[in-house]
Amino acid sequence: MRMNGRNHLAWGASAVLSFSLLATTVGFADDKAKDNDAADAAKTESPIKHVIILIGENRGTDHTFGVYKPRGKHQTISNILSKGIVNEDGTPGPNFSLAQQFLVKPQPLYYVGAPKAAKAAYGSTGQMPQPNTNGAPIAQGESGAPFVPAFLAELATIDPSPDFNPLTNTILTTGFTALPADTLDTRIPNAGVLPNGPFVLQGANISDDDYTGDMTHRFYQAWQQSDCSVANATKANPTGCLNDLFPFVMATYDLSDNTVPAVQHNFSEGNEMGFYDAEQEQASTLKTLADRFALSDNFHQSFQGGTGANHFMLGTGDAGFWSDGNGNPITPPANQIANPNPAAGTTNKYTADNNFSNCSDFTQPGVAPIVSYLEALPYRPEPNCAEAHYYMLDNTNPGFYPNGFRAPAPAAQAMIPPSPVRTIGDALNEKSISWAYFGGSYNDAVALSNDAVTAGTAGTLNSSTALAEAALADPAHALGVAYCQICNPFQYATSIMGDTAQRTAHIKDTVDLLADIQAGTLPSVSFGKPDGLLDGHPSSSKIDLFEAYVQQVLDALEAHPKLKAETVVFITWDEAGGYWDSGFIQPIDFFGDGPRIPLLTLSEYSTGGTVNHTYADHVSLLKFIERNWKLRPLTDRSRDNLPNPKMRDDQPYVPKNMPALSDLFDMFDFNHQVKQPFLQ
Amino acid sequence: MRGLDLRRKSLRQASVVLHLALLCSAVALAQSSPQSFSADIVSRDSGGVSLGATAKLHAANHKARIELGGAADDFFLSDADAGTALFVRSAQRLYLDARQSTPLTRIFIWVDPRDPCRQWQAAAITAVVLGAGEWHCEPVEQAILNQHQIIEYRVSMPDGQSSYGWVDSMIGFPVKWQSADGNLFVLENITPGAQPANLFSIPPDYRKLDPKALLERIKHSDVWVDSPK
Repeated sequence: MRMNGRNHLAWGASAVLSFSLLATTVGFADDKAKDNDAADAAKTESPIKHVIILIGENRGTDHTFGVYKPRGKHQTISNILSKGIVNEDGTPGPNFSLAQQFLVKPQPLYYVGAPKAAKAAYGSTGQMPQPNTNGAPIAQGESGAPFVPAFLAELATIDPSPDFNPLTNTILTTGFTALPADTLDTRIPNAGVLPNGPFVLQGANISDDDYTGDMTHRFYQAWQQSDCSVANATKANPTGCLNDLFPFVMATYDLSDNTVPAVQHNFSEGNEMGFYDAEQEQASTLKTLADRFALSDNFHQSFQGGTGANHFMLGTGDAGFWSDGNGNPITPPANQIANPNPAAGTTNKYTADNNFSNCSDFTQPGVAPIVSYLEALPYRPEPNCAEAHYYMLDNTNPGFYPNGFRAPAPAAQAMIPPSPVRTIGDALNEKSISWAYFGGSYNDAVALSNDAVTAGTAGTLNSSTALAEAALADPAHALGVAYCQICNPFQYATSIMGDTAQRTAHIKDTVDLLADIQAGTLPSVSFGKPDGLLDGHPSSSKIDLFEAYVQQVLDALEAHPKLKAETVVFITWDEAGGYWDSGFIQPIDFFGDGPRIPLLTLSEYSTGGTVNHTYADHVSLLKFIERNWKLRPLTDRSRDNLPNPKMRDDQPYVPKNMPALSDLFDMFDFNHQVKQPFLQ
Repeated sequence: MRGLDLRRKSLRQASVVLHLALLCSAVALAQSSPQSFSADIVSRDSGGVSLGATAKLHAANHKARIELGGAADDFFLSDADAGTALFVRSAQRLYLDARQSTPLTRIFIWVDPRDPCRQWQAAAITAVVLGAGEWHCEPVEQAILNQHQIIEYRVSMPDGQSSYGWVDSMIGFPVKWQSADGNLFVLENITPGAQPANLFSIPPDYRKLDPKALLERIKHSDVWVDSPK
């Protein structure tokens, strides 16, 4: 079998059989390769020699673990079950009103804390927006998920992606809505008459194996949904974020006409309030891992809004900005600059829902409300907005294509020019500590990028469009469109992506992550990101597909006990994706934090089903790496300069020394090692 | 230039090793000037040592079929007249553009013996392997082997790397190729003779894979970034 695979690879052909080769070897190898593990030589503060950070898409803490009871002795968790908002079966609980959502009368300008007098709870004035199938697939497709089974088999043999494996082959064919597009999601029990608050995504026609409607998750919308004002502050919630405008903002930011019939372009509606019931075996792989290892219930998305900015923060501890490509800030094209002030005659339709703001200038639309709120907080966090810098607040493709091709006209191509912001990769390089970013379908994306360069489209089009055009002409590499460019913080960086040797050494595919585990060549620090099919994003993926991706990595690691013993796998998400969450939020600067997202910490030193309450966000992962390998903070302005929190006994989720971020070391007990399987 | 000279020297050494194979090929071809034949495509490293991979070639009427062997009944079809190269997955009853799936469909194609460069360049364009820069191809040497004229060509890619191809000018087909990494693809066991016509056609019930639906699904994810309006 191995010989067959080698023959095919010798011809360059396929690619096709490299997966079968991998499938053959994984699980049969012994751990001898581990004896040559170069990462062992690097001095570390803990027994951890390898960090793997796996990042899913768009799931919040209450959305995923809202109905979860910790298995560890004397462990507590803050979620909608423990707060009595819902019952264990997902029905409304005695404190359901704590989660009620509000609508707001029209205001003249953008706001992040709605005036109390302008607010009214849904129910008393109109019905809470109801869940919508927004973008979810209505049927099986020939080459789009969920696949017609026969077509999935075809794709599996055409493409070497580890996306197609025994774990995913079934669930990549299931979960379509069988409903008209963008309509009331009647699979959800009581859809159409759901009360004002969270609802469970479970019933005879819906489970964690179903595609569900997406919702907008962007910077200014997310700040507004959080509804933060010091006027709302309490001892338990000193930052005054009420999280009570989630459906309202979705229903209005894109609503161009207040008259009937309304002209609306998105159908996010009430999807924000959906959650899974872990106690009824929804997202059961994640639940099993939480039962056996450690879960944080105070881990946050680091950036209000979406994918690109959160991944950027994960890689840099900072925000990206528009530049001349040589590190000098310049003003982006006008169609990139945001203006969230309501358009005349509308309740809340954003005037220009764009991606960049100069937050050092209070006169810029949308800036003053956020900065004023920060200044009013008792700990007065700095906005951290450098003069004349237009920061990337929402998804913008990097100025480099996946193959390293530099977009020649980034402004015209709507791609942010190459970034000078220092990354954790740069810091690791300086200390000769090995690292890699493993992006699902990256190899295919490189092939499509080569196609686009040859065709000339890479020089004129946005990279999403250029790769899509290339995929139509090069179906053998079509899955390259599912590689997430904005998820790779290093793809923005001139120091990595602009250097062929750096790119080829550090930017790889999921298949390489599995191969490195197999070969005992796993880098000290690894970032793993599934492609768009498996990332768990609502509408385009499912939470159980991300679970399958996680399991594939864990299974590979399980086969190498020595490697497993000195590895921690952090499982987290880029952001909550617009899902409502009941947790406390600590604003750190202009950019965030945002709502809670789960963090699972899997190692032999973080076991027992514990739940950690220390305040943390994406940058805490950087802090863990930096402490473990004795690195300094990335820059003098990056968030990894923040101290570890001093947590309050009476308010265990609120640091006494805000702003502060955990380095996650307190999720481990390095004096207590427990060997147990990840999942079996 | 020194690098090129060294590569040429290595090429010479490899050529000595392969003379026997070429001699056998030429003997077979000398029986006639076939418009159709079959052969094995053997891969060897720069020292002439077999890399263990063998593919089967069928060539007739300006079309070529390359079978990879192994468990999968997959093959590539190229049509020099139409300028196409397809990857056919028999078990799945579908086909798709070969593009960069294999280098073989860019090498072992029927060529104009007076100007094989034109077809090689067209095949490279079809495969979308030519980046920005100049593609160059020129004859560098010729030899007579058993009454067959073998012409050697150097093909320089835009990235500056060079490959070498040897074309049997009597049949208008390459018989050997050395890629930039020094590895060799060589035709061996060439057997003139008619080839069944059905080897060069795609059964009518096979479908061409189209990734449009995949693109539509991806557009609902954060992977897809819309350009500003």
